[in-house]
Amino acid sequence: MLDWLQFVLAPQVVNGLSIGVAVVLMALGLTIIFGLLDVINMAHGEFYAIGAYAALALIGVGLPFWWALALTPLLMAAVGYATERALIQRVFHSKDRHTLTLLLTFGIAIVLEDILKIVFGANPLRIEQPITGATEMFGLFFPNYRLFLMAVGAVVIAAVWLVVFRTRLGAMVRAAAFDRHMAASLGVPVSVVYAGTFAFGVALAGLSGVLLAPIYSVFPTMGRDFVLIAFSVVIIGGMGSIKGAVIAGLLLTQVQSISSLVISPVWSDPLLFGIMVLVLMWRPHGLFGRLGHG
Amino acid sequence: MNRHHLNSLAAALAIAAPLAASAQTAPIRVGVVTPLSGTYAGIGQQVKWGLDLAAAQINAAGGVMGRKLELVYEDEEANPAVATQKAEKLFQVGKVDFLTGTVNSGSTLAVGQVAERNNRLIATTVSFADSITADKCSPNVFRVNARAGMQSAALADWMASTQKNANVFYLGPDYEMGRSTVAAFKAAAEGKGAKTAGEVFAPLDNKDYSPYFGQIRGARPTVIYTSVAGNDTVRLFTQMAEFGVNRNVQVVGASGTVTSQNLGAIGKAADGFVTGVGYSSSIDSQENRKFVADFEAANKSKPDLYGADSYGVLFFYKAAVEKAKSTDTDKLREAMRGLQWATPQGNKTMRAGDHQAMQDMYAVKVEGGQFRIVGKVAAEAAIGPDACTRF
Repeated sequence: MLDWLQFVLAPQVVNGLSIGVAVVLMALGLTIIFGLLDVINMAHGEFYAIGAYAALALIGVGLPFWWALALTPLLMAAVGYATERALIQRVFHSKDRHTLTLLLTFGIAIVLEDILKIVFGANPLRIEQPITGATEMFGLFFPNYRLFLMAVGAVVIAAVWLVVFRTRLGAMVRAAAFDRHMAASLGVPVSVVYAGTFAFGVALAGLSGVLLAPIYSVFPTMGRDFVLIAFSVVIIGGMGSIKGAVIAGLLLTQVQSISSLVISPVWSDPLLFGIMVLVLMWRPHGLFGRLGHG
Repeated sequence: MNRHHLNSLAAALAIAAPLAASAQTAPIRVGVVTPLSGTYAGIGQQVKWGLDLAAAQINAAGGVMGRKLELVYEDEEANPAVATQKAEKLFQVGKVDFLTGTVNSGSTLAVGQVAERNNRLIATTVSFADSITADKCSPNVFRVNARAGMQSAALADWMASTQKNANVFYLGPDYEMGRSTVAAFKAAAEGKGAKTAGEVFAPLDNKDYSPYFGQIRGARPTVIYTSVAGNDTVRLFTQMAEFGVNRNVQVVGASGTVTSQNLGAIGKAADGFVTGVGYSSSIDSQENRKFVADFEAANKSKPDLYGADSYGVLFFYKAAVEKAKSTDTDKLREAMRGLQWATPQGNKTMRAGDHQAMQDMYAVKVEGGQFRIVGKVAAEAAIGPDACTRF
């Protein structure tokens, strides 16, 4: 029994945690964009893929991984800013905002995926792991890169939380989300805040792309990988809630990870969506409130 | 008969003579329905390279019974529905005498039915599914490449020879191909005395295999067999190396698991992987060395099993036509049954009972990004029983 706890259950929990951090990184960007802009960004997965390819290209021209890790989010923020200004702004103020932005970002996703296929080819590529080896703790064998990933994930989550809830910038963002007319009349440059927030969400997706590429490999359709579970996490956690995304992300991946010990792995997705349906029946707005409303 | 009549007779003869001759010297048309675009375009490329090279060599050496071979290509997009339309078109409009090139096993089975309706013969050079020359066999379909069962036999034989009492863990993608490859190899391995440590089927396009590693470790296998393919292989192998799951464990798999398409992305993590195949460019024979050199000179790329078997099929057809002294379907079918012909990987024999080619099989190991031959099984030991009951 103790053996089972130590050699089967414990590694499973830690594995689940490392996947959970990956999911939370994806869900954060998604929930921030939704919480503020009220836009469901269907292209989030493709921005994640572009982040991975951008890092691959930067490493390809001779930069070390750490430079790629630092530069890619900046690059992606620029891409996000441009996308918001050039495309999303155009349909943002119409009555059918939900439908139009959903269709628009879905279209962007399809186009981006094909562009990646044309530019980089359909075959999988990989970024070498910058940190190799593994650490043994309490008889548990765990790869160092995944430990690094969890540490970075924790730092990013804490930083996002600090920026949104403890800075003047964050207050402006939350004010714009809560009541944009009032915020505008108090001098908040609402349209810049919108574009900036979208850029921030896209930068987070790009950062996840770089961080996860050494584990999950790089290929044109990689954007579909985490986006479905990230959407479920955002819905369960409460659309737009940062706390909800973190808690739901870690919880759901633990459920998947531990359940795969006893039931066939193929059932882990139905289980996930089953939980989503139950949560929505119990709390139609998810576990936690929206950004700016909490 | 007056001079006028004689003249017209001579004129008629002069016109008729080339016509009569042309029936004997007109090219033999071979249709090729193969994926030139889409997921399997990489395989279709090898098929085309192999066929083009063989046709050029046969034509340069005088053709088949004095007639040149002419290849007519159609893109099937790895889609059985498209493949049947294109095959129908080639038989009806293109008037091809013979057809080859199908890759997807579903396409081969579907095109086989088109061939039956049109009373022509086809041969596949790529499709692995055992059923094509077993329970779904057709009198009009031949297979010149090795089927999945033969690949499993070669791999199981190599495993038994290197490990007494191998304890095997099976990891397959959870769909028809994954389940059938695992079942086939498990049967072959247990037949050779291997034990089963456990099995798990992961969803296709699975992201992270680490949730299964606890289970694998707990089962303490000496061998891990997998039949995942494409991106899934890249992830599985990277993550196994990351977690050290493959330390002191032999990783083996299906022949489609590690290919030239994903080998680059897997990198060092692929080293030591062993699989069973019907061809390797490292086969050390004079015929193969010449073939590899010619192939590389023509295409700037090494042949893989698809290129080699597609090259071989035209020599199979040539030998059959010369034996039958005809391109007539019934005569040709008789000639093909039991036919022995030379290919880059040695002589092959077409088994009459199920139209499955018999050939020596190899176990190959990845070392430094190259496949090296580590074992060989004779054709008779690898082929397995004849399960075709239609003819």
